[in-house]
Amino acid sequence: MESWLEFGKGPLFRLCFALMVLGLLRTFSFSLLGIIGAYRKAGDKIVPWGDLTNKTISWLIPLGHLWKARPVYSFISFIWHIGLILVPLFLAAHVKLWKASVGFAWFNLPQRVADILTLTTITAAILLFVMRIGSSEARILSRKQDYFWPLLLAIPFVTGFLCANVSLSAGGYEACILIHIYSANLVMVLIPFTKVAHCMLLPLSQYVSGLGWKFPRDSGDRVAATLGKKEMPV
Amino acid sequence: MNPLTIEERQKAFAIPKKQEVIERQKLPVRYHVEDFPIEDRPRRFLQAFAAILKHSNYRFVLDHYIRTSAKCSRCTVQCQVYEATKDLRDIPCYRSEMLLKVYRRHFTVAGLLRGRLTSDPGLTDEQIQEMARAFYDCTACRRCQIECPAGIDHGLVTHLGRYILAEIGIAPRALVVSTREQLIGETKNTSAIPLPALTDTIEFLEEEMAEIKGVEVKFPIDVEGADYLFIAPVSDFLMEAETLMGIACVMHAVNASWTLGTNNYDAINYGLFYSDHVLEKVLLNMEKEAERLKIKKGILIGECGHATRSARGYYNTYAKRYPLPIINVMEYTWDQIRAGKLKFDRNMIKETVTYHDPCNIARPGWIIEQPRNIIKYFIDDYVEMSPSRRNNFCCGGGGGTVSIDEIRPYRTTIGGRKKAEQISKTIKDGKAHYIIAPCANCKKQLRELIEDQKIPSTLVGLHDLIYKAIILSDDGVAWHDGNN
Repeated sequence: MESWLEFGKGPLFRLCFALMVLGLLRTFSFSLLGIIGAYRKAGDKIVPWGDLTNKTISWLIPLGHLWKARPVYSFISFIWHIGLILVPLFLAAHVKLWKASVGFAWFNLPQRVADILTLTTITAAILLFVMRIGSSEARILSRKQDYFWPLLLAIPFVTGFLCANVSLSAGGYEACILIHIYSANLVMVLIPFTKVAHCMLLPLSQYVSGLGWKFPRDSGDRVAATLGKKEMPV
Repeated sequence: MNPLTIEERQKAFAIPKKQEVIERQKLPVRYHVEDFPIEDRPRRFLQAFAAILKHSNYRFVLDHYIRTSAKCSRCTVQCQVYEATKDLRDIPCYRSEMLLKVYRRHFTVAGLLRGRLTSDPGLTDEQIQEMARAFYDCTACRRCQIECPAGIDHGLVTHLGRYILAEIGIAPRALVVSTREQLIGETKNTSAIPLPALTDTIEFLEEEMAEIKGVEVKFPIDVEGADYLFIAPVSDFLMEAETLMGIACVMHAVNASWTLGTNNYDAINYGLFYSDHVLEKVLLNMEKEAERLKIKKGILIGECGHATRSARGYYNTYAKRYPLPIINVMEYTWDQIRAGKLKFDRNMIKETVTYHDPCNIARPGWIIEQPRNIIKYFIDDYVEMSPSRRNNFCCGGGGGTVSIDEIRPYRTTIGGRKKAEQISKTIKDGKAHYIIAPCANCKKQLRELIEDQKIPSTLVGLHDLIYKAIILSDDGVAWHDGNN
């Protein structure tokens, strides 16, 4: 058990973390290069950068959007994202590990706040899963990963909470921390290859949609020529 | 929203085509399509898709969308088509997924590998038929994008889907025939109005203005070196005489240097709805006309949402020889009011008015306050629709569907259902008499909607009311006092 734990915390974590970071950088670069390429190819360079930036900010801090469409779902989803972002990054135990590993760290959440956020995140995961299977609209849109993610993400939170509250995990601490570490490693590996890549891509989304409407000059002619339809008038 | 009755459903979804045509074309869609080879359609679809991806900017958009789409279903409450039909296939995200699925399967390494490993045959003709239905049930109003957390523009995916379909011969006949007349026909316009008929109409309008306003107001034609080339949606010459007269009166009052061109008097551009190639060709013709007439300051587009968006969004993409600013006539009129050059009789319009935002000019935030400012300048009783501005409801005939006459029952029962409810509510709350819709497409759709849904109101353009209220000086000299 001890060696599995060490492996999970050490080399495997480093590998998974590196895969996540490199994978996200890769997808981010693709979209960013796509935006730059589209801008360069666009027949005119008038882009509403200010409007796109405003939209981006409004979605990075989406408080103004919550009540506008599916408010209950949106609110739960908002709570879910807060826990997902804050707890892994600012939990005292995680911050300590970073400090020990790389020599520097950042502020950490009080344990009580982290516990509350963890519980709200777990609750949100369950609710999002139930809402997905309970709604015919969500069901017809859902792929396997859409059901899978709330459940998978809940695992490190549940086990983390048990580990942080030893009285709850009495006797099973080692098993809990093992599951915690390995499930978190799995999450990190999967992030760049699934929809959770939006954690890195969201800041680019509005620009992608904006630039998508900027067309290259002569593209229609070139398409027609490629398809052998150049002489077909309409 | 009131649920559809059985009769409404039957009427809206009826396919007005002969069974033999549906079988021959293998295309069970409501709109008419010209005959086009149906053999090997999936392969041709993929070829067209590949060619478009190669020469355009769409690929990175699709790559980004397949990575970020979270399938949250928030768009379900934004789409007025889905809200009316409650058909799960009408959910914007579901519709976009039809094309994203093809992209993922045939144009990504992971999709190609998975296809090999699972012996997935890939795109089928049934999928193409489904896309042909779905992409024209969408009004391309882009309201869903406003509340998409992932920033996915389903309107852009619909636009691309229609473009690919058009390249394999699937596009509404109504749009294709009109475009053909505009690009290679004798009359060079979508309504097939010959030049002599146009000049007759213009003469009639001038006589009408002389009689009603007591002032000689002209539509200048082919004036070389004019400041502005005025291009209206050509259907205005058939259906919106008062809009045109209102515009002419504004131009007269400010002593503007403007002209119509006899080689190109149609701002309609269906390319925005089904083909980037057509979009480009129509705009290049606009450039030719501006160049022929040596236009100095800009191109003035009449009251039309899609004509404004296609020209403003893309004229300077394609027209490199003769670049010019594109101005909508409402922007021009508001500028003249601000400059104190127009005078109105404030007692002329006593009725309550409300304003419908055309999606193509309001959604991007381009033209929202200018028409409201104009209205409030000479009309006291104005009520706002809710929601409005960038978040407005579509008239229900967006994305070119208004020009497809055979789907009118669908448009006025499904597409415009939400709008009809909104208008009824606005009338009830504010007793609005006039609904102002400054867009040729919206006007046609809303007139049909009002008629079919029996809503007691009058649909007008903004310049129709300006025409009623504008005061022209007797000697034809512009007013400059700016006081009302």
